[in-house]
Amino acid sequence: MISINNLHASIEDKEILKGIDLEVKAGEVHAIMGPNGSGKSTLASVLAGKEEYEITAGSVTFEGEDLLELGAEERAQKGIFLAFQYPVEIPGVSTTNFLKTALNQVRESRGEKALDAVNFLKLMKEKMKLVDIDQALLSRSLNEGFSGGEKKRNEIFQMAMLEPKLSILDETDSGLDIDALRIVADGVNKLKTKETASIVVTHYQRLLDYIVPDYVHVLYQGRIVKSGDKTLALELEEKGYDWIKEELAAV
Amino acid sequence: MIQSASSFLGKLLPTFEGNPTQEKALEMLEEVGLPHSKSEAYKFTPITSILDKHIDSDIRNKQTFDKKLQYAEEGSHLVLINGKLSIENSNIEDDLSYEVKEVSEGKHDPFSLLNTAFATEELKLTSGTKKPVFIYHFNDSGFSNPRIKVDVKDNNSLSIVEKLITLSEHNTFTNSYIEFAVGKNAFGYHTKVQNHTAHTYTHQTVVANVGRDSHFYNNTFSFEGAMIRNNLTINLQDENCEGHMHGLFLLDKKSHVDNNTSVDHQKPNAYSNELYKGILDEKATGVFNGKIYVRQDAQKTNAFQSNNNILLSEEATLHTKPQLEIWADDVKCSHGCTSGQLDEDAIFYLRARGINEKSAKAMILNAFASETMEQVKIASVESEVQSLIDQKLEA
Repeated sequence: MISINNLHASIEDKEILKGIDLEVKAGEVHAIMGPNGSGKSTLASVLAGKEEYEITAGSVTFEGEDLLELGAEERAQKGIFLAFQYPVEIPGVSTTNFLKTALNQVRESRGEKALDAVNFLKLMKEKMKLVDIDQALLSRSLNEGFSGGEKKRNEIFQMAMLEPKLSILDETDSGLDIDALRIVADGVNKLKTKETASIVVTHYQRLLDYIVPDYVHVLYQGRIVKSGDKTLALELEEKGYDWIKEELAAV
Repeated sequence: MIQSASSFLGKLLPTFEGNPTQEKALEMLEEVGLPHSKSEAYKFTPITSILDKHIDSDIRNKQTFDKKLQYAEEGSHLVLINGKLSIENSNIEDDLSYEVKEVSEGKHDPFSLLNTAFATEELKLTSGTKKPVFIYHFNDSGFSNPRIKVDVKDNNSLSIVEKLITLSEHNTFTNSYIEFAVGKNAFGYHTKVQNHTAHTYTHQTVVANVGRDSHFYNNTFSFEGAMIRNNLTINLQDENCEGHMHGLFLLDKKSHVDNNTSVDHQKPNAYSNELYKGILDEKATGVFNGKIYVRQDAQKTNAFQSNNNILLSEEATLHTKPQLEIWADDVKCSHGCTSGQLDEDAIFYLRARGINEKSAKAMILNAFASETMEQVKIASVESEVQSLIDQKLEA
């Protein structure tokens, strides 16, 4: 589905990603772990098309297409979804209105007809159940004054509405209590199909008890330094990141 | 007598004919003169030099008013052509109490005096009707001075919508004046929509004297014009009264809009709230000056002011200045102004959901602007303002 080759990215002349290689196939869940400042969120943002980052080398292909050539909205229209670590508050724009515009622009880009109000509401009701989100919340200004948990649930709700092929969850678990975490993870699991894939960026192993990864990668200083299956996450939980740093230093 | 430096005024003087009140106003005006380029209050809006250079007060056009320019809304529709009420163009409901009178005294600042001296008549409206009153100033002469006085009696409510329409390809200068007397426990609503041409120069004075337990609302929406100066003065003259000022200036091209507002708290327990928002694109200029006076007597005043602006172009100019003068010691006053660019993170967030950049920007700006529309409360005016916002953001 997506293949990342030797990806280098910098911001303000500081290189953050120093050669990332990653291949994600349909049906797979990949977890990206690593200590703070290792470049996890940068990778997520770069894939979603944030323009502040400069790609200095490498390539990203999404379903055979050069992803780096596309603007953020085109990537979303083609099926990439980033669940933000810090969802942005947008005063005056209701979640409902915003999602209707988003969904219809995505549909339009695929040559599909826009959803009318009735069908849009029907779809919304159905997806609201997935993440246990309240109608009242959705008529409020987008993320404005939402609690941390509400913001993250709103992200997963948007994901459910837009039905992406590849979802990138950027520290969706941080700041969530165990109940909120379970709701969010449940939502993600229900949306999983053989045709979709996820990249789960997280600092903690905890989330991976609920969203079980097929592969775990450790990102450190802008590179993937270790890959394994889900047992790697448990090992990290137990031993922390220091042993990896030591291992690397020894090489 | 000090000779006025303004050639515009100099040229007008020989044409003067008026009643004793107007004579007196003219004398006072000659004494103070029109504001010159160093006048603090007109620092960013050099209107006198514009008048001297660009306005020919002799121009008389004869265009006809097209009724399609009216709002499709129940109520009285009054058309003033170059400052004179045109009965044949107006639709006046039976319950509207109005009168065309000799010019009477008004405020004493230079442009109010100019209006007093050169107005041809004074339209007096008195509350009684429940329906809104729409006033269209259809001006095609070089210089006109529409003058209106509104009397909102005790326990009454009156809503006025004013709109200047200038279709002339010559430069026009409209110096309008409207004064509200809002009695006790009474409500005055006033909304202006300003979408003019690159030939439209206008100075508009709005004064409201608000009595005990009364409210006055002004909404000013500005979209285009060569130079628009809005002078809004609300005098909260008694206890427990309220003044509300909402404004939006959404400008592009070389439009220039200067909002000069002032609220004067004279007695205790009054409330004022002001919200002005600016969006400036291309080579537009926006000015906001908000004065709040709280007199010594006006304890327990609540006064709030905020002015937020977004600049979309490096060539756009914004001047914003809050001015608070507080003599009372037990008051709650706050003011804040912000100016900046569009929030890039917000745009990215919307784009990451599949919304194209143009729609994303329009969505954010629309939400920003809409907040100023909350007090309009007349459906067709609201939808006109909304569609002007959409049009501007679409461009």
